[in-house]
Amino acid sequence: MDSTSTVASLVTDAGSRRRAKERLYVVCQAAGWLALLVLQLLFVRLFAAERDPSDSIPSIVQTIAEGWLITHLVRRWLTRWGWKDLGWRRLAPRILGMAVVLSAIWAAVSFGICYGLLRNPLPAKYHPLAILALNLMNGAILMAGWLCIYFFYHLFDRYNRLQIEQLRLAAAVKEAELRALKSQINPHFIFNSLNSLRGLIDENPDRARQAVTQLANLLRYSLQSGQLETVPFEEELNTVNDYLALEQVRHEERLRVRLDVAPGALALPIPPMLLQTLVENAVKYGIAPRREGGEIAIIARCERNQLRLQVTNPGTLVAGGGSTGVGVRNAADRLGLLFGAQATLNLREDPPGCVVAEVILPLATTAARESARARTLPETGPEVRSAERKAVLPA
Amino acid sequence: MKALLIDDERLARNELRRLLAPHPEIVIVGEAANADAARAGIAELRPDLIFLDIQMPGDDGFTLLESLEPPLPRVIFTTAYDEFAVKAFEFNALDYLMKPVDPARLAAALEKLPGRAGDPPGAALSERPLRLAPEDKVFVRAGERCWFVEVRSIRLMESEGNYTRVHFDDAQPQLFRSLNAMEERLDPKAFFRANRRQIINLLWIDRIEPWFSGGLLVHLKGGLKVELSRRQAQAFREKMSL
Repeated sequence: MDSTSTVASLVTDAGSRRRAKERLYVVCQAAGWLALLVLQLLFVRLFAAERDPSDSIPSIVQTIAEGWLITHLVRRWLTRWGWKDLGWRRLAPRILGMAVVLSAIWAAVSFGICYGLLRNPLPAKYHPLAILALNLMNGAILMAGWLCIYFFYHLFDRYNRLQIEQLRLAAAVKEAELRALKSQINPHFIFNSLNSLRGLIDENPDRARQAVTQLANLLRYSLQSGQLETVPFEEELNTVNDYLALEQVRHEERLRVRLDVAPGALALPIPPMLLQTLVENAVKYGIAPRREGGEIAIIARCERNQLRLQVTNPGTLVAGGGSTGVGVRNAADRLGLLFGAQATLNLREDPPGCVVAEVILPLATTAARESARARTLPETGPEVRSAERKAVLPA
Repeated sequence: MKALLIDDERLARNELRRLLAPHPEIVIVGEAANADAARAGIAELRPDLIFLDIQMPGDDGFTLLESLEPPLPRVIFTTAYDEFAVKAFEFNALDYLMKPVDPARLAAALEKLPGRAGDPPGAALSERPLRLAPEDKVFVRAGERCWFVEVRSIRLMESEGNYTRVHFDDAQPQLFRSLNAMEERLDPKAFFRANRRQIINLLWIDRIEPWFSGGLLVHLKGGLKVELSRRQAQAFREKMSL
């Protein structure tokens, strides 16, 4: 939880991070070029015996200013071309090429201004072309240096961001696992059921005996299914039926149930506790708070390449209406982890006064289905199990 | 002792009836399946004791208690599994029973009730006037915590609009009731209206000093200070003088 919030704050601070980076750039850019300027001035003062025009102080200042401006302008293009996202292997030749191009521009501009615009006399000692070549080389080295520093920073920065991203992912996975662990039967329900059961023992011993078995089934399923990735829909549906039967003991005529399940859907793999979570939600928000109770419908359809599950309950979808949404978010997360973006879970009011929770699952390959079938709960043999279940299922 | 059972489940109410059968001093005068029915039942039947489920359709048990005019009947909560409720009770030593109810726990809870057979019958709530006695309790809830506050332990009540802030022990939660409404229910021998905003408990006065322009400054035990205007100081002197 702690690491999640730290990471979240890192991510939400993207805006201020960008501003800080911009500030850092301005400072480095200024410091770098000014340092170069000071060095050049010192160098000229100490070593240059011949005073040619390109060595005069204004000329040096001007050249540095041009370099500053060129690198500042090229920065925008580097971002636009997406060079910041390249690896160093692809970056190296680009840096070399770009350094030469920038150096050419730089030399052209400073020569143009120095000898063209200001009409300074060409130095006599060296051939102008030699000076140009020297300038080009010097410029290329400087520009390459600038580019190296610039991209080195960005490579480092990207590496950092990647690490943060990985941390964030790891934290999200941990959180999902934790919530999956918690996605078991609501203890409030268990103890209320036990209490109703106690009341039922005298009143209707047969129904009480049946309720004990149903509660046992439900507890066993909730304890064991956590280790499985998927279970056959039929298995989940049987558990949900047990659960609803127990809720009916508690809520009596306030809870009515309608099942509308396509036979083809029964063998399909679904994440365990998915339907159970939705039905529990439906009872919690659709039946328990309403004095008159209502009907819960479970609808399962196979359509083209998907399984469509719907759980409806009376009620309205109010933002923050007492619901924390943990159960549904949890279920949606597990769906996402298992099936990726193809699986969806949404809650809507349709028609008004009726809340529909709908899950759409892509139909898995036969192989996946077979493996899901093979991973049924271990406590009984599959033959016994399906026979027993069929008896419970409505026609 | 008259008792009302409040639970949304018929089976739970039946079970409680069965559990109460060996306790003839508890007379079940009625049942309610939700907060509204309970409010009506309490007003009409004036039970001395209610068994109250917390989670119910409509208003929950806490909301029901907040809406009841004090003095409250004795309350025994019945809850299946409610971390929130259990936490609230731990601080207050209230009586609560976990469902399914253990008969021995129920007997122990009933044992603690005053006004059982053998006690003078005047203790029963149904026969008392509506003024709050020092041992009566007021239900206060603030966020995750709730209290049954004994009236005698309240040092100070302060008006905050439609609410009254109640100072007791080391807590000062708000009560959903105006200070004027509270004043009508308090015993004038024990409580004094110090000013428009505050009522003080006379038992909690530590010392009094003269204050500006004929007023008084009352120090309460526990460090609170309350100013009395000249007019109120006059009334206070009259009330306190022999």
